[in-house]
Amino acid sequence: MATQNSAVLARTGDNPFLRTVAALSTLAGWCAAAMIVISVGITCQMIFVRFVLNGSTYWQTEAVTYLVIAATLVGLPYVQRLRGHVNVDLIPLALRPRARFILSMLTSALSISIVAVMLWFGYEYWHFAWDRGWRSDTIWAVPLWIPYLALPLGFGLLLLQLIADAYAVLTGIDKPFSLE
Amino acid sequence: MDPLLLGGIVAIATILVLFSGVSVAMGLMIVSAAFLILFDGFGSLELMPEIFFGKLDNFALLAIPMFIIMGAAIASTRAGADLYEALERWLTRVPGGLVISNLGACALFSAMSGSSPATCAAIGKMGIPEMRKRGYPDGISAGSIAAGGTLGILIPPSVTMIVYGIATETSIGRLFLAGVIPGLLLVSLFMAWSLYATLRSGNMAVLSTRRYSWSEKIEVLPRVLPFIAIIIGVLYAMYGGVATPSETAAVGALLCLLIAMVIYKLWSPVAIWDVLRDSTKESVMILFIIAAAGVFSYMLSSLFITQSIAEWISALDVNRWVLLAAVNVFLLVAGFFLPPVAVILMAAPILLPVITAAGFDPIWFAVILTINMEIGLISPPVGLNLYVINGIAPDISLRTILVGSLPFVACMVIAILLLCLFPGLATWLPDLVMGPAI
Repeated sequence: MATQNSAVLARTGDNPFLRTVAALSTLAGWCAAAMIVISVGITCQMIFVRFVLNGSTYWQTEAVTYLVIAATLVGLPYVQRLRGHVNVDLIPLALRPRARFILSMLTSALSISIVAVMLWFGYEYWHFAWDRGWRSDTIWAVPLWIPYLALPLGFGLLLLQLIADAYAVLTGIDKPFSLE
Repeated sequence: MDPLLLGGIVAIATILVLFSGVSVAMGLMIVSAAFLILFDGFGSLELMPEIFFGKLDNFALLAIPMFIIMGAAIASTRAGADLYEALERWLTRVPGGLVISNLGACALFSAMSGSSPATCAAIGKMGIPEMRKRGYPDGISAGSIAAGGTLGILIPPSVTMIVYGIATETSIGRLFLAGVIPGLLLVSLFMAWSLYATLRSGNMAVLSTRRYSWSEKIEVLPRVLPFIAIIIGVLYAMYGGVATPSETAAVGALLCLLIAMVIYKLWSPVAIWDVLRDSTKESVMILFIIAAAGVFSYMLSSLFITQSIAEWISALDVNRWVLLAAVNVFLLVAGFFLPPVAVILMAAPILLPVITAAGFDPIWFAVILTINMEIGLISPPVGLNLYVINGIAPDISLRTILVGSLPFVACMVIAILLLCLFPGLATWLPDLVMGPAI
């Protein structure tokens, strides 16, 4: 069944590592929500400037685009913690607990590897932009390392949350796939 | 390796990975990375973050969180209950007014909130007990709400349509308009079936409704009109060419939040955070799938799978309606298992060239695709809406809900057939308002 377990949170028990990661992810979630709210504000400001003041707007569209990207990337760990990334758990539901546990370890290992790859190459991409002083080819000419920073940051935090999730299943604090 | 065979292997791998409980977005990235490593070496993964970022680097995507905030703000209030009450009070003279007003409330609320499960919960919580109290059969009470809740992805403003528009680079304005008449058609079919089934159950008494005085009718309006006015305003601004969908949606989001705060007294920081948290969660989830699907379609085209499938299908030289039927079956099956957004993002880049080459209109196809996705929402094994109804009316068995929903699935199939016979149902309104498509 495709689920977005709205009621389920990643369980932390009283494990200090899990609690720290949960706190970090929650903080990231607040930042993501704040960035979305700021993009509402900037877009409304842009419309006001353009239609009411008849002024020109050159930075708003770009700023809002980068804010939404950053909100997405930085929001990833928080949504992972809320179990909000929609999934289809047909196979896990059909498995016995032992097999389900093994499958959950396998999918965790794959997720952790792919996110680690994204973190590594995301960091490299950001570093290129930083080293070579890349700027966006618009009038605003934003130094691109600023928006690109969201890549290593988001994937880094997501990696932490995924490791914490796998650890919680390994130690029995959380159930595989958060299924009862 | 033959790209077609490779395509088959990718498809099977994708299905296995997606069913393994890993999140849809993560699954798409895992499959993409695996095949890229296999055929182009580990170094080819270097491009993944750039593609991921590039897919999100699009101002049009702002429309997604904005429409989601609008919906979440509306869904957090009593607006659903008010809407339900308003329609019930205003539709008393219509025979079978209760089930009709329930379906109407579902259509309006699901369009406003953009969320199927939220609609089922908001309208169903009031509507289902009321219908059962008045003697409507359980299957009709539950089925009508489950089906009514699916209308939101078709009737504008619809996040599903926005995602389709972005994935296929078609006009979101046109897509929204294209959903209007088919949406009304579906509501009418749903209403007709509900009335017929209620009459057939032999319980005529349930069709009579309570009378309401004019003051009772007027009293509910101030609580429902503002949200409806905003939605209409947003759509009007979009079609007036005043601003892009993203821009008007941002204003709409701000206004919906303000109305929720002023009219529905949503003052407490906790309540506001709930709205923001839910919309952030939903937006991030969808945007993550969009970016991951971008990586996935990069993998497909860099291994020449997309191109080969398109060539293969055109070489088959099948009748276009046979092709469409096959595409429909594919979408239907995909929709049984996967959420609409994921199906659209994975299927659109592959199917759209095939569909347009066969002479079908991409805007019309969006409507067909969306109705297929609606069927998935009320069919097993996923059928999100069925479980929501089961949650709010636990004493109606899942089986009854399912059986009650089946006739509504039939209504949707009829709507698809009607749309095939009369494509104008979808394309007439966008052509009228925005000029003929080029």
